[in-house]
Amino acid sequence: MGTSEYMIEVENVSMRFNLGIEKGFSLKQWFVDVGKRKKKIKNEFWALTDVDFKVKRGEVIGFIGSNGAGKSTLLKIVAGVMKPTKGDVKAYGNICPMIELGAGFDPQLTARENIYLNGAIMGYSKELIDSKFQEIVDFSELHDFLEVPVQNFSSGMVARLAFSVATIVDPEILIVDEILSVGDMAFQAKSEEKMLSMIGGGTTVLFVSHSIEQIRKMCDTVVWLDHGVVQKIGGKEVCDEYITKMLG
Amino acid sequence: MFNNIKYVWKKYSFLLNQLVSRDFKVKYKRSVLGVFWSLLYPVLTMAVMALVFTNVFKFSTPGVNYLAYLMSGLVIFNYFSEASNLSMSSVVANFSLINKVYMPKYIFPLSKCIFVGINFLLSQIPLYVILLATGTGINIYHLLLPFAYLCLFMFTLGFSLVLSTVAVFLRDMFYIYGVVISLWTYMTPIMYDIAIIDNPYLLFIFKLNPMYWFTYFSRRIMLYHTIPEINAWLYCFIFGFGFLILGVIVFKKNQNKFIYYV
Repeated sequence: MGTSEYMIEVENVSMRFNLGIEKGFSLKQWFVDVGKRKKKIKNEFWALTDVDFKVKRGEVIGFIGSNGAGKSTLLKIVAGVMKPTKGDVKAYGNICPMIELGAGFDPQLTARENIYLNGAIMGYSKELIDSKFQEIVDFSELHDFLEVPVQNFSSGMVARLAFSVATIVDPEILIVDEILSVGDMAFQAKSEEKMLSMIGGGTTVLFVSHSIEQIRKMCDTVVWLDHGVVQKIGGKEVCDEYITKMLG
Repeated sequence: MFNNIKYVWKKYSFLLNQLVSRDFKVKYKRSVLGVFWSLLYPVLTMAVMALVFTNVFKFSTPGVNYLAYLMSGLVIFNYFSEASNLSMSSVVANFSLINKVYMPKYIFPLSKCIFVGINFLLSQIPLYVILLATGTGINIYHLLLPFAYLCLFMFTLGFSLVLSTVAVFLRDMFYIYGVVISLWTYMTPIMYDIAIIDNPYLLFIFKLNPMYWFTYFSRRIMLYHTIPEINAWLYCFIFGFGFLILGVIVFKKNQNKFIYYV
């Protein structure tokens, strides 16, 4: 598959949302709509329009833009969670999305069981989790709570466990929506350091952050999105232009 | 195509395994008897129904033991109703995951059908105890039963795929299906003999019910000690395979839209 030097190819991707259907659909609403005999008002919203870029192996690419610019939608499309309305995304390598932590935990299961369950959801193999099990436990510092159901954990403990499971892999493509720092002060520092080392470790990274400083520090390429349209792609100088525009 | 299936299996069999074992652990975690409930529960429901239907409604099945008749039907229908019910909500319940990580979405209904399937296999133990205790006995044709079970599984999975798709777009389905399944229970000859129906039109409708054929097939063997007729084999297979194909098509066509209905 590796015919090109690129790890990710995003080709003319557009994404349309229909705001109407997101309000939820019920039989009652359906009857109301039929009763009205009104044509559905098209309530469309283009979250992304004609986004096109390529990412080289080992490149760290950062996305900046205001809230609702389409950054998270773009990451979800690359991760394969959403299919774009138009265009195509090709990713050559296993993707590790770190979009939100602990979504796959079952509160009734113990920490040990949840490590395996959550790992499986992230797409890890049993062998990988077996071999990294000790590392996960060490990093989360939850040695004494392995056989305790997660519903008895404090929220900080859950976040620590989730973070430790999510960050054990060396993925070929890492998707990061904000640097996650969780837990108490000591663990926050530790988790931030771990994430920064993952990003800087030579993998291909797609990185969204509102911290321009982090973007400037970590990224080779910066993509500036505004209302779903790419304003500019370039080096770190894009950050400066963005700041000037935002302040001006 | 074959390589693709191999790849998907290799990548997601561990997840499937984890989802099924999660259901097991959660189901029995806080109960004292644990997995014994899988054995005990079908017997208890059978006992209640037998009590009601033989004493109050005076049901009987000429030539065969009523307990064996009831149990053989219940085990099969309970598999279908429990698996389809759990599958229906499985996609919606896992929206938070579907929204974040890519995984094949059919894995949720599939894992429920397998989970309940393991329970179904466990419930064969009390069934055989009843068959022996009532003097109904066992015969060599029991070796043919896996055919009916496989068809039942295909039918349930296919039906569940359709149901879980509909439930994404129409949440009212959770209530509607509750009514449908209770109607379905009474439309399937589980606690009564189909011979009590003499209206030919009604009889025709009854025989369009796939669940009728799965129970019919297994009862021919278990209770009447004969090989099922060729049409029973055919109907079982057509309903099983047909619904599986239908389910796969419906699910596949709609799965990319699920995410907008979170």
